[in-house]
This record gives sequence, C-alpha cells and structure tokens, in this order.
Amino acid sequence: MYKKGYLIALLVILGLFTFGLVGFYIFSAGLGDGLEKTMEDAGVEEGESAYKAPFDYGNNYTSTWIMGFLGFAATLVVGGLMFFGLGKKNGPGKR
Amino acid sequence: MHIPDGLMDPTVVIAGWLLAMAALVISVRVVNKRIERRSVPLMAMLAAAIFVAQMLNFPIGGGTTGHLVGAALAGYLLGPFAGMLVMFTVLLLQCLMFGDGGVTALGLNMFNMAIIGCLLGYYVPKMLPKKAEKAGIFAASWLAVFIGATVCASELFLSYEISGGAYGISGTIAFPAMMLSHALIGIGEGLLTTGTIMLLAKVAPGVLKIKKATMTPIKRGGVDV
Repeated sequence: MYKKGYLIALLVILGLFTFGLVGFYIFSAGLGDGLEKTMEDAGVEEGESAYKAPFDYGNNYTSTWIMGFLGFAATLVVGGLMFFGLGKKNGPGKR
Repeated sequence: MHIPDGLMDPTVVIAGWLLAMAALVISVRVVNKRIERRSVPLMAMLAAAIFVAQMLNFPIGGGTTGHLVGAALAGYLLGPFAGMLVMFTVLLLQCLMFGDGGVTALGLNMFNMAIIGCLLGYYVPKMLPKKAEKAGIFAASWLAVFIGATVCASELFLSYEISGGAYGISGTIAFPAMMLSHALIGIGEGLLTTGTIMLLAKVAPGVLKIKKATMTPIKRGGVDV
C-alpha cells in the first residue's frame, strides 16, 4: 500500500469511529458487556484495581472521541515502533 | 470480556500469565524471522483500528452489549503470530492507558482474546475449501468470541472452586451467562470481520497478501532464515 493509501485508511478508520460513536451513545452507553452482566447477575462487584490508569474512556461524546483518538495514535506509534524494531534486520524482504 | 483485577483466583491468574508469556515469546521469535519492513505500517494500522473498534459496543438485547474483539481479523490478515502481537499491543495499551482489563489479569485477557482468536482466525478458514472462505471467516470469528468466552467462564468457575467462593463465579451462573451473551456477540463479530475482509478484498487487495509474508521465512542469500 502506498503512502496515500495509508492516509486514506487512517481517515476512513477515524471517520467510522466518529460515526460509530454516535451509535454507541444512542444505543449502548451505560450498558455492561457480557462479562460485566455476568458479574452483575452473580452479585460480584468489580474490586479495587491493582493499577491506576492515567486516563479513562470519557463519559460524553467529545471526551470519548478524544480518548479514542489518543488510544488510536498511541497504538499506531507504539505498535509501529515495536513492529519496526522486530522487522528492522530483515529489511524490505526477499522471498 | 476484559477481566478486571481481583476477579480470578491467583492460581488461575498465574496460569494465564504463563500461557500468555509462552505465546508472546513464540510470536516474537517467529515474527522476528519473518516480518518485513513493508508489513509494519499495516500491522500498526490494524492494531490502532482494532483499538477504536473495541470502544464501540453494540447492543445484543437483555441490557447487554458486545464489541468487535478483532483477533480473528488479525489472525486471518496477518497469520496467528503477527496477529497475536497486534492483539497483545492493543490489550497492553488498553490496560496501561485506560485501565480496561486488570494489570494482573492481562495474561488471562491475552489468552482469551488474543491467542485463541488469532489461532482460530488463521486456521479455521484454511480448513475449508476456497469457495467457502467467507463462511470460514464468519465461523472463525464466531468461534473466536464464543470459545474465548467459554474459556473465560471456565476460568471464573475454576477460580470459584479453587478459592471456595472467594474469587470467580459459580459455574451455574458463569457458563450460561457468558456462553449465551457471547453466542450473540459472536454474530456481530462474524458480520463485522467478514464485511471488513470483503471490503479490503475490493479496495486494498494487497492487504490480504500480508499474511503470506508473515508466514513465510525470509531468504537471505537463497537460504531460509
């Protein structure tokens, strides 16, 4: 994929996230996922976390979008650096 | 399906870490020999896309929601080992940046959501004839979620039994609740994964060839590395 293709893919993913988040806030916000519902059914409450994360996913459209963008960018950079480090010695590839 | 801290018995947590670390070491060794620089941007882009896709829960009825896990998609597109590394990256950042899933439970989350899903995403479609590939992708995605959830229910049950009820959830609650809800979530996973791959086949068919690259040893001077 050429550089323009990556830029288009990036914009498409963020565009889908922007629209998908509207649906999330209309239909799903405030509802638990399968494991959370199972814990609720069993009367089990989430215990004290062993680690305090610096961010949360936000509680409204704007803050969740910003956090999603932050997570997207962090994953892109950390993943990119990690995978590049692994592939560095192999070069562009000869098969 | 992100397991929080304090839910599972420490024995189960340690077992999860051992399995996840073994898979991580194998994945790094395999990918280190086979990854090409040109595959890196696609792997990073897929990881980032899975990160935001996991934030978008969809309702499945009964006051429960689910979201795309993405492991079957990563396993299908990149092969099981590169797929696992992509999923490990997503789960690690979700945990460390946003507290999504407990730090102590990260090994179990990696096992339930990354390892099982990537293996199924790669091997299930391969077991079917080429003309049934779409059905294979759907089946792999559904199985990735359903088996992952069933294993999670088993971990809850084991924790409950080992600890005498101090950790985990009784099997009579954990198995039906987890399996029923994730049987429905798996349908969403199957539709989204199959749809994404069909779309990629039309607009960016080159992406579907990356798997071959990450599963074939690189030749240096005509010798397989």
